[in-house]
Amino acid sequence: MIVAARNLAVRYPGAGGRALDGVSFEAHPGQLLAISGPNGSGKTTLLRALLGLLPPEAGTAVIGERPAVEWGREALARAVGVVPQREETVFPLTVGDMVMLGRYARLGPVAAAGRADHAAVAQALARCDVTGLASRRVDELSGGEWQRVRVARAIAQEPRILILDEPTTSLDVRHAMELFELMRELVTDGLTGIVITHELNLAARFADRMLLLDGGRVAAAGRAAEVLTPEVLAEVFRWPVAVSPWRDGAPQMTPLRPSERDQGAVS
Amino acid sequence: MSGRDGALALTVLAALVLGLAVGSVPLAPGAVVHGLLDPSAPSAAIVRQLRLPRVLLAFVVGGGLALSGAALQALVRNPLADPYLLGLSGGAGLGAVAAIALRASAAWAVPLAAFAGALGAIALVYRLAVVSGRRLDPRVLLLAGVVVGAFAAAVMSAIIVLADAPTLRNALLWLLGGFGGASWQSLAVFLLYALLPVFVLFRSGRALDLLALGEDTAEYLGADAERTKRLVYVSASLLTAASVATCGIIGFVGLVVPHACRMLWSPLHRTLLPVSFLAGGVFLVLADTIARSILPPLELPVGVVTALVGVPLFAVLLRRTLA
Amino acid sequence: MACRTAAPGCSTPVSVHLGTGVFRVRARHQSASLILLLVVVAACRPETGGAVRTLVDDAGDTVAVRAVAHRVVSLIPATTELLFAIGAGPELVGRTRWCDYPAAAAHVPDLGDGINPNVEGVVAARPDLVVLYLSAQDASAARRLRALGIPAIQVRSDALADVPRLTRLLGSLTGRAAAADSVAAAFERDLAAATAPVPADPPSVFILVWDEPPMTVGAGSYLSELLARAGARNAFADLPASSGRISIESAAARDPDLVFTSNAAVPAFAGRPEWQAVRAVRERRFIHAPGSEFSRPGPRAPLAIRELRARLAEAAR
Repeated sequence: MIVAARNLAVRYPGAGGRALDGVSFEAHPGQLLAISGPNGSGKTTLLRALLGLLPPEAGTAVIGERPAVEWGREALARAVGVVPQREETVFPLTVGDMVMLGRYARLGPVAAAGRADHAAVAQALARCDVTGLASRRVDELSGGEWQRVRVARAIAQEPRILILDEPTTSLDVRHAMELFELMRELVTDGLTGIVITHELNLAARFADRMLLLDGGRVAAAGRAAEVLTPEVLAEVFRWPVAVSPWRDGAPQMTPLRPSERDQGAVS
Repeated sequence: MSGRDGALALTVLAALVLGLAVGSVPLAPGAVVHGLLDPSAPSAAIVRQLRLPRVLLAFVVGGGLALSGAALQALVRNPLADPYLLGLSGGAGLGAVAAIALRASAAWAVPLAAFAGALGAIALVYRLAVVSGRRLDPRVLLLAGVVVGAFAAAVMSAIIVLADAPTLRNALLWLLGGFGGASWQSLAVFLLYALLPVFVLFRSGRALDLLALGEDTAEYLGADAERTKRLVYVSASLLTAASVATCGIIGFVGLVVPHACRMLWSPLHRTLLPVSFLAGGVFLVLADTIARSILPPLELPVGVVTALVGVPLFAVLLRRTLA
Repeated sequence: MACRTAAPGCSTPVSVHLGTGVFRVRARHQSASLILLLVVVAACRPETGGAVRTLVDDAGDTVAVRAVAHRVVSLIPATTELLFAIGAGPELVGRTRWCDYPAAAAHVPDLGDGINPNVEGVVAARPDLVVLYLSAQDASAARRLRALGIPAIQVRSDALADVPRLTRLLGSLTGRAAAADSVAAAFERDLAAATAPVPADPPSVFILVWDEPPMTVGAGSYLSELLARAGARNAFADLPASSGRISIESAAARDPDLVFTSNAAVPAFAGRPEWQAVRAVRERRFIHAPGSEFSRPGPRAPLAIRELRARLAEAAR
């Protein structure tokens, strides 16, 4: 299922300017799109607009064939699995129960969980490699485990689209890599994947397409090599960077220190 | 049915039996049963007109309070929330005191005024808590509740100072909570107010699980956060208002019982809500039995017993949770 | 204004360390206000006249009172009645809004509530004796009045025994000791005459003070005492408090012969199904006695007892 924005413009009520302006992109099944940008560039706004939570001032956000605002909430939850940036765990559940919450859109308020639901949960747990944690409480998990559990919950929704918002914040190298590998696998299985992330280098290696936002506008879009250039990055992030390709060809950016700036941006 | 559920069912039965067996009129168990079954038995008047409605009322009020407490704790994402934090007890007190000060004489006048006062407080708090964009903000809900409650308490104090002392003393005693005057009529009135909110709350179980994760997350998973918040808030408030109107203010049930059930059963609301209801009923029936057995024939206000029992219980629970 | 002392961040009051000029101005202000205060206090002080004596009131406080009080504020309805009974009515300069007997009391200025009184209003009446009810709320009012130089005593006015005692006390405080003594003696005689002989099987009376929640009074209450002298007994004489809530069931258990109410002849709750368990309610056996003489330990106690005897006799038929 396609996720797309077409000239999307969003303004928060009472705000002076537009939070998003003229944003266009398309994400296709089997593809992972990475959305990046400085703080305040509109990434979370874009996420909310894509999910129909913010009505556009101009343009459209589209999920599948329909504009996002026309989707019902439960129908949308059956099609799109979201792993938000943060959530609260005031009443800690077990991992199994937490992942089962992902079945809400298919169960409704009263129906008891049936075989299909348990199967979906088991599959989601397996896919995210957290089956062994099923009876552990979520407040006893490490950061990496917790993230994988939340991805499992999104998978349990049996969505066609998977969106993750800053999933690697506070994750160490190993867990961040594991998470990106997981995203890659899920997308290869046929999901449409979107990840909002600050990890430009990881995005360059794992994502098929990148979208760079700056002040609500698209600063660059396309393959990593087209987006991660020193000129674009320096302008968007207002910091000089050097870019050099990794073994797999993905451009890797390195921010420069003041003493390094004279040595030239491109190597 | 698991062992835990069986134990709960047994406890419910035991509490009801105990409540029926204990009373000022010494009745042998056989007489109690006889009175239950045979309307012409000598013990029938006591058992059927006084004890049975009293025990049943205590049970459903306790259940209602625990149920509201559990739901509200999920709504405001705070395990320390209590139905009375929402300001409605102040409103109910104000309504009752006003009715008594105005010498409203009809039997139903005071409870009705208490209910109306509670509704007024609910509406005011709701209005305060709905921020721009028409979203109900749980943090503001708590603050608004405290503020409205304090305001109502202040007005109530003013009325008390201005009015006839003995009458108002009686009003305050009424507010302290008790089932001494329980009757089939008061039970029927309570059930009338309570059935719909209880039904709505039970149905909101899963949505509350999601809401407890945060409103954004809940919406991403398919829940209608706004609608759930409103339904839960209004239902829990109505339920609590009904119990205040029927038997005064009884605290700690809504705070402690859900906590205990969460620890002993599960935080999942489809289980937690019904279990809290039953456990709350047991708790209040036992508290009422104690309230009328310590210094007979004097009846201690039930609110005092629930606090005296609830506070140490709460302290123990708190330590266990934090440990 | 800079701090002159060495202490860092000092915030000592201005007067401490500023120059002597300012201090002199302050001192002048101070003596002026002191004079003003003395003038005010002197103005508030009641007319002096006669010697002063001390007594210990029912709260245990030692109070200096005038030998003879000429301007009395009575903050208890019972003592208002007693003062009129001993002929001290003309000396009353203030009463509570609840003081409704005798009729002449209406001409005495109404100062509001007796419990938690309006101290300013009392002071404005320029009394030389204030009589307050013995309670925690009134203790602070009594203290404040004494601090302003007004003799204020707290008295217990809860039981029959208080009536002759207070009569004599008020008599001695108002210079009517002889009249008070004879009133007290007459009261005691009348009380004895009005008291019914102790019956072999006194009817039990359930005193219902309030119905929602059901409340009654114990043996220590005045009404209970009156009923006892009228030849009945309080069904809840063993209540472990002077008043409290009870359940309908305990009322049913004690099966009182009569129900005493002060509200209505046949009260509203009488029809409710849950109250039918109490035989006296079911059979509509109520004694209704409104009127302040039943709640106020005062000179009308014998009258109240006679009324109760009449009602009890009526009910027995």
